[in-house]
Parts: sequence; C-alpha cells; structure tokens
Amino acid sequence: MSVLQRLLRSPEGAIGLAILCLLAATAMSAGAFFPRDPLSIVGPALVPPFSDMAFPLGTDRLGRDVLAELVHGSRASLMVGIAAAAVALVVGALVGTLAGFAGGLIDEALMRIVDAFQVVPAFLLALAFVSVAGASLPVVVLAIALGAWTAPARLARAEVLSIRERDYVAAARVIGMRPLEIALREVLPNALAPVLALSSVIVASSVLIEAALSFLGLSDPNIVTWGSMIAEGRNVLRSAPFLSIVPGIALMLTVLGVYLFSEGLGQALAGRKART
Amino acid sequence: MSRPTSRLSLTRRALLQSSAVIAATSVLPSVGFAQSGGRLVVAADSEPKSLNPAIVASNGVFFISSKVVEPLAEASFDGKDGLAPRLATSWEGSGDGLSVTFKLREGVTWHDGKPFTSADVAFSALNVWKPLQNLGRLVFANLEAVDTPDDATAIFRFSKPTPFQLIRNALPAVTAVVAKHVYENSPDIAADPANTALTGTGPFKFAEHKPGEYYRLTKNEAYWGEGQPVLDEIIYRVLPDRAAAAGALEADEIQLAAFSQVPLADLDRISKVDGIKVYSTGYEGLTYQLTVEINHRRKELADLKVRQAIAHAIDKDFVVKTIFLGYARPSTGIVPHNAPEFYNADVPTYAFDVAKANALLDEAGYPRGADGNRFVLKLLPAPYFSETKQFGDYLRQALAAVGIDAQVVNNDPAAHIKAVYADHDFDLAIAPTVFRGDPAISTTILVASGTPAGVPFSNQGGYANPTLDALIAKANETVDVAARTALFNEFQQRVAEDLPLINVAEWGFITVARDSVLNVSNNPRWAVSNWADTALES
Amino acid sequence: MRRAFLLVRRRAISSIPVLLIVIVGAFLLLEAAPGDAVDAYLLSIGGGDPALVQSLRESYGLDQSVAARLWLYVTALLHLDLGWSVIFGRPVLDIILERLPNTLWLMGSATALAFGLGSLLGIVAGARPGSSADRTLSIGSLALYAVPNFWLGLVLSVVFAVQLRWFPTSGIETIASGKQGLARAFDIAWHLVLPVASLAFVYLALFLRMMRAGMAEAWRQDYVLAARAKGLARRRIVLRHVARNALLPLVTMLGLQAATMLGGSVVIENVFAIPGFGRLAQEAVAGRDAPLLTGIIVVSAVLVVLVNLLVDIAYALLDPRVGASDAAA
Repeated sequence: MSVLQRLLRSPEGAIGLAILCLLAATAMSAGAFFPRDPLSIVGPALVPPFSDMAFPLGTDRLGRDVLAELVHGSRASLMVGIAAAAVALVVGALVGTLAGFAGGLIDEALMRIVDAFQVVPAFLLALAFVSVAGASLPVVVLAIALGAWTAPARLARAEVLSIRERDYVAAARVIGMRPLEIALREVLPNALAPVLALSSVIVASSVLIEAALSFLGLSDPNIVTWGSMIAEGRNVLRSAPFLSIVPGIALMLTVLGVYLFSEGLGQALAGRKART
Repeated sequence: MSRPTSRLSLTRRALLQSSAVIAATSVLPSVGFAQSGGRLVVAADSEPKSLNPAIVASNGVFFISSKVVEPLAEASFDGKDGLAPRLATSWEGSGDGLSVTFKLREGVTWHDGKPFTSADVAFSALNVWKPLQNLGRLVFANLEAVDTPDDATAIFRFSKPTPFQLIRNALPAVTAVVAKHVYENSPDIAADPANTALTGTGPFKFAEHKPGEYYRLTKNEAYWGEGQPVLDEIIYRVLPDRAAAAGALEADEIQLAAFSQVPLADLDRISKVDGIKVYSTGYEGLTYQLTVEINHRRKELADLKVRQAIAHAIDKDFVVKTIFLGYARPSTGIVPHNAPEFYNADVPTYAFDVAKANALLDEAGYPRGADGNRFVLKLLPAPYFSETKQFGDYLRQALAAVGIDAQVVNNDPAAHIKAVYADHDFDLAIAPTVFRGDPAISTTILVASGTPAGVPFSNQGGYANPTLDALIAKANETVDVAARTALFNEFQQRVAEDLPLINVAEWGFITVARDSVLNVSNNPRWAVSNWADTALES
Repeated sequence: MRRAFLLVRRRAISSIPVLLIVIVGAFLLLEAAPGDAVDAYLLSIGGGDPALVQSLRESYGLDQSVAARLWLYVTALLHLDLGWSVIFGRPVLDIILERLPNTLWLMGSATALAFGLGSLLGIVAGARPGSSADRTLSIGSLALYAVPNFWLGLVLSVVFAVQLRWFPTSGIETIASGKQGLARAFDIAWHLVLPVASLAFVYLALFLRMMRAGMAEAWRQDYVLAARAKGLARRRIVLRHVARNALLPLVTMLGLQAATMLGGSVVIENVFAIPGFGRLAQEAVAGRDAPLLTGIIVVSAVLVVLVNLLVDIAYALLDPRVGASDAAA
C-alpha cells in the first residue's frame, strides 16, 4: 500500500489533506475570482454577512469585501508560513549538518549560537526584529524563521552524528572527497527525511506567529493577512464580531488541516516502516 | 450665566445628518444629584515619561497633570477671548508688544503648604517655559525678564515686539506654573524626579503611580476654588489598547474614556448601552487635522498640477463619513473651522473629481503606463492614530483610481518620525497635525522653510516659498490684532493655493462616560482641564 | 545530590557564552533600528527644536560610538547592573523586577494548568487507545491546538468578561483597592482566570497529545505486556506502568516550552492589559529603549536557562538512569 493510500485511510490524514487541498485551491484561485486588490473599497462599510449577495461575508470598516480579503489572506498566510518554514529548514539543516560534520570548535561555536537563539523566546525575537526592520513581507518571513531554525539544526546535527560514521561516508572519505563535499553530497540528503518531518509543525506555528505579529500591528500594510483582519476587527469586536471571527476560524482550520495532515502522514509512514 | 453642560447622546445617523458635529452644541442640562466625593476611574492610553506640563506641553501629559498643576488661564466656552482665569485673574499686553502684565490669584497655596507667589511665575517662565518647554521655547523666545513688583503681579518683558494675541492664545497650553522652591536647587530641571511626582496648586494632588497599572490623584482640601474639587479621587487606569476601554466601560470597571479611547466604530453601539453617554464636544481647543504631508523633493510632487490632482482625488466626505463615522468635518485649509478668530473660508478648494485629477496628471505630463500607473509613490501613514492608518489605506485606493501607485509603508512610531522628519524617506506622509489656539504655535512651522532636519511635526518636505516665509515672519512681529489676523488670512489663502500640504479633515475627540459622571465636556479643552467641578452622581 | 550539583555547575558554565551571544545580539539589533530613543521621546512630547534634539541626544549618551556603548553595557552587566531605562528614567533591573512577578504568575499558572489537566486527560485518552474517549480527546485537542491564543483571549474576554461579567476585562488586580493578604491573592487569581485559560489551552493540548502518544508507546513495551499477562488490574497497569513512563518526556517538554510560553504571554498580556514582561517588551521596542529591551531579552534568556536547569534536575531525580554527563546535551 502506498503512503498516499495509507494517508487517505486514516480519518485524520484524509480530513487534513482535504482541508489543505481546499486551501491551496482557494489561494491559487484568489486572483481569478477576485481580480481586484482585496484592499479596494467596494461598498458601504460594515455590511453584515449574508445580508447582501454582492458581499456574502459582509464588508469591513472601510467597505472592503471580507470574502475577497479572506481569500487573498489565505494566500499571504500560507505563503508566509511555507516561506518561513522553508528558510528555517534550509538554514537549520545547513547549520546542523555543518556543525555535526565539522565537529570540534566549529561545532561548539555553532551550537552555542543555536542555544542562544533557543533561550530567547521566538516571539519576542520576532517582535523586536520586525519593529526594527520595518514590517514588510520578507522581514516577517525572516523574523519567523529566526526563531524556528534551531529545531531543524539540532535534528540535522543529531542525524549527521549518527550517519557520519556509517560506511558510505567513510567510503567517500577514502575516495578523497573534501569534507564539505561529503557533508553536502552524502550526509545532508540522508539526514533530510526526519528534518522534513518537522516541517509541518513549523509551517503551522509560522502561520500562527504571523497572525500574532499582524495582530500587534506588525504586518505589511499592502497585503491582507488573516492576522491583520483580526487586528482590524478587534476595534469593532462588539459591533461587528464577524470581522474577527471569520478570519479566526479560517486560521484555525488551516492550522488544524496542517496538523491533521502531519498526524496522518506520521501514521502512514509508521505503518510503512512497520511493514518493511 | 454659566454655560449648560453639553450632554448629548449621539447616534450615527444623527451625526451624519449634521455636518457641524464638532461645533459646540448646547442642550438642556440634565438634572442629576451630584454627590460630593467618590472615585472616578478613567482610562489612560499612555504613561508619559515626564508628567511636568511646564516642560512637556502635550495632551498626553496634560490629561493627567492638568488636575495637579494649573496654567495662568484655561480655555472657556464663554469667557472673554475664550479664556477663564486660573492662577492669573487678569492679563494685559502693552501697545508696543514689549510687555504683558498678569495679576495673580491671591491666597493660593502649593500642595506642600507653601504660598504661591509671582516668584513662582517668574521662575517658571524664565527657567522652565522659555529654555525647556517644547512649545514655550517658541512662544517665549524673546522673553527677557519677568518683573515681580509684588507677590500678586508678574510683568513679562520681551526684547522684541511679541504679539499679545499669541501670548493670550497660548496661555492654556504653555503656562503651567511649577513651584520655585521645588526646582530652584535642581541641577537639571528637565531630569528632576519632581517631574514624575508633581507638586502643584491644582484641585488634585499627585498620590502615586504604579507603572503599567494606574495613576492616583487625591483631593486637594486646600484648593482655592470654593467647594472644589467635588471628587475625592481620580484614578487613571492604564489601558494601552484602545479596544480594551469599551469593554471596561461596559463592565463599569472605568467610568470615563476620553480622547476617543473607545474606537469610533464602536460608538454607535455603545451609545445605546444603558448608562453610557457619548460626548462629541469638549475638544474644540484641541483640534486635530488629517494632513497629507508632501515631499517636494520628488519631481512629480514639486509640480503644482500633481498636488492639485491628489487633492481632487480625495473624497473628503467619504473620509469623514467612513473613517471618522461623521465625527469630523472636511477641512478647507490649514486653519480649522474651530479657530473662528483666524479661520478663513475664502480659499481655493478642491472638490472630489477623479476626471479632473486624471486630466491634471495628463496635463502635467505623466501619462498612464501599460499597467495603468503613472508613477509609484511611497506613502507613510502616521501610526499613532487608527484614523491616520485607515486614511492611508483609503488614500492608496484613491490614488490608484487616478493611476498613482502608492505603496504603504508600515512603521512603528519612532521609525515613522525618523523616516519622515529626519531622513525624508517618504513621498507622501499622513500626519495628525494639531492647531493649538494660534497659527504661530504649531501651524506655521508645517510650511515655513528653514527648519533643520530631525524636528518632528515641521516642514520636512523640502518646501520653500519666500512669500509664505515673509508672511509668517511678519505675523510673528505684528502686535496689532487686526493686522496680524489679516496676515494669517492671507497665509491660509496662499497655502490653499500652492498646496505645500493637503488638509483633508479636522476632528475633535470623543469622550465616552457612564452617565453617573457629571459636568463632562464643559469647556473647549475639557479632557486636559482641571476637572474641579466634575462629579459622580449617586 | 552531588550529581545535581555537577549538573548545575556544568549548565552554568556552558550558559555563559550563550548569554553573551544573546546580549551582543540584542544590543546590535536595537542599534540597527531606524529612529532612536530621542525620536520616540520627541513624538511623545509633540515635537521640539534642533537645539533640544541635540541636547537630548547628548544627555542619553547617544552621541557616543556603538562599540563604546556596548562595552559600557557589558562591563556594567558584570556587576548585575542592567543599566538605566531611557523611557522610564529608572534602573532597568527595578522595572523588570516590578513586572516579572505578573508574568511569572501568568506563565506559572498556565503551565500548571496545562501540565496538570493535559497529562490527566492524556491518561484518560491513552488508557484505552482507540476508544471513543480517545478519539474525542485527540480531535478536540488538535482543534484546541490550532486556535490562535490571542483570538481565544478576545473571544473569552467578550463572552465571560463583557457579556457575562464573571471576570474582569483586564488588569492583574483591582486597581488601588488597598486589598491585602488573602483577599489580594484571590483578587489576582480572579483576574488571571481568563488570561491563564487563553495561554494554557494550547499547551494543554500539547501535553495531552504527548501523554497519549507516550502511553500508546508504553502499551507495547515488554514489561507492560508482562504485567497484563500477570493479570494485573487495568487501572493499576495504566497508572503504575504506562502513565508513569509516559510522563518523563512531558517533563522535558516543560523546559522546551518555557521560551515559547514566555513569547505567548506577550500577546496575552496585550489582550488583557496585564502589566507584565511582554507588554514591557513592546513598550521598550516602541520607545527604542535599548537598555530596557536588552535587559528584557537577557532576563528572559536567563529565565529560560533556569527553567531548563530545574527540568534537568527534576528529570535526573525522576529517572535515575540519567547521569549528569547526558544532561549537558
């Protein structure tokens, strides 16, 4: 049985995959269904949801279409989550591999830096970084990655330490490959699998951190994100609660989808391992 | 006759119908049984580093300190020249503009029991207002000496003619009197610990500050005002987040939120909550304007046609209706309607007209490119009010309609100040400029040339207009009231003509209070006045 | 005992370079910020003229070089002097010590709730893997795990504070109430209910899931199989053998989550206007108060190191197999 089949068999995996597919479809079709800038003002302010078919989910404080914002927001939220996770994974995997393979003083120094990043609360770091560098999309991605790269680094290092004494690495050394070459060519690809397993958790937490940063007003003002929608809606929480509830639910569903998917994937992989 | 309390419950519809929302409205006073005593808890959104209003003349400081430290005179709805006496009982300028004589109130004591005299006024003026205060440095620039012939007279002497009109208009904001005996031996008055534990003559004494939680003021039993103050205690509860104030009011944890701490969009709903009242008056003396600052170093923006096009692209009525929900009015120029002494309605205006804006831009030689855009601008909305940020979002859309791609930059306050006023790293900025009673206090600096980089809330757009500069300089030394007023009339015209900046709307803030709080909003600077007559109904 | 001492010493020594990196990093980060403390101050007072600007920069020491200020900062730190806050005009250490208890109460209560309730529900779920209770709790905890904590805070505050008025909307205690002793403790506890709940639920879900996963693992272990074969009562097996072994990873997680929870409290403190550490950090960033923000980051780093140390000691005591040498990793 393939991993996909196993994944679809577990309810978690199936639901998770469905949510993620739906989300991906939404994000990709955002431009097609709502070609206008989602921040453009299209109608009267604070139209309640389900009251006007032109704006199925109502409008916000300035008369922007909530549905359009929500759909475009899925794009930004997913993009930030995936980009931040990718940066964190790549940087973490590189640093971890380097540390594990080089050993000695370099290892020591790199791991102290990893420690330093790990003892500072990631959110505090992101908050300070975005405030300092100015809130734009790349900065937010970087800020989130800043707090997320340490876990992959540790994992990669541990994997490398267990792998590097194995035969094929020793063989590479014998045929005269340089240490860095060995690290990149032989060790890294083998250490990658468990590192990737971390990725879904990082994506989910990145989406949440992005939302929290937006909530505190630290987001790129030229694009909509779900966090910034909640922050906007917070001021009218009592008069128009839907403005913060709708993106909140979207956020929750997304994160839930990612977790369910990773749970299902974990089960599927474990099942495969048990068989082989 | 004393002015009846303005107590007005507002609905959004009523507001939209009446455009003159900010103008002082008077309705019948409500009948309530004011009870002496009680504790009033109000929301405070910031904790100023220094509380000394003699050094820091800002509304954030006044909001707390005005109850403790008093000025020579306070703004008033019905007093002569819009003033009511406080520590001074009368004031008079000489014909040559070289001196102003203040008669001071007698029998006033400081909170520590020592008598208040003209020596305190002289000390405050020469050692604090003139050298240290952000606004006083300008108003009292030519103050040379303060004579004190007796304990109840202070004569200000100027080295150059200084318009009495300006001094008089500046009285409420710049003349908070501090005690000479507290500061005279201080090595550094600006950093003195007494700036956070205030001693004053006001109706309330400073009791304590618990950082992050509250300030507590207690009744001054020896206050000079008869039967005042009414309250026993005022507590400022620190609620930095604006959304928190409405909830706290509804839960009756606080009784009053001033300075629009309750978001405008929530007013319609909260005005219908039992026991809560919304006041849109009491800020006439603190009018803010929503202003588009322009960087004239950009070649496109140096072109008057482009600036006119931007002015035509802005729908001021939409801004007033949607962003301010009616709690504002469109601006016609750099001086707000609320300054009738100076306001000039006879200025060029720019009606909302997208077609005209497009035509002007075509004329200026900036055709639309393949993507529909003529050029790209960097737009920096000031982050300290939600309305300035929302207007930033709106302006981006309004400019898109005329083919200008405005990219919004979201900075935190410190970075915004640095980017706009020091580094000039902006094309358009949105500022909440303040009119403080006289154009010479904080308005002319917005368009005058020659202010070095790094001075916030000044002309940092590289705009230089010799005619305007000459007008401003002349007004600063014109003693005759009518002549000076005429100069400022011309000043407004020329600003509206040449558009060094674009004034979009003007607003006062909103106070929301439990209806048990009496005598709210009964003067034009109510939130920053002394609250000696504020009471709680039992 | 000796092992605990060695552990402490080893940890303390290895923490020094880590903290040094944190200090220099935090200092340089704020240094790179556009706008300085003077800009922030000028904003708060509504402007000033050039001479004032210059004299302010001098009095804040901002006219000195970066290296000179960093050196001054680090040397002062050796004497436990965290410097002087620009926005508060008071020693940084005093301010931090004033706010820290609020955050510690918030974090401590949230941790206790999350750990206690989380592991308990985890035991319920893990006692019979695959049962309906297990399924419900698993899905429920996943959903809970996905809720953004600030959003949960908003919803809880509207429902329970504003609508139902069961709890106060914000703050850490009734202001200027003059309450003392037990009355004050109750007052604080009452104020903390909603913020603690908002912060704890996410971690509760985490601990629940870990406990359940650990137990599922433990059911397959030989000694459990042996116990079952011996015919021991299920309840006894669950508590004595399965849950006990599944608890250890949770203790490790407690240490790992300390930093995350401190970060999470920043947002929760914002939602509930609690004058704690997180809000202080926001104020420091907004006011470009480099000494204060550096102080906050350093103190939170020390805090996280301490928590991890405690966790290591606890772990060493709980599981005799762990030697002092392993704990350094």
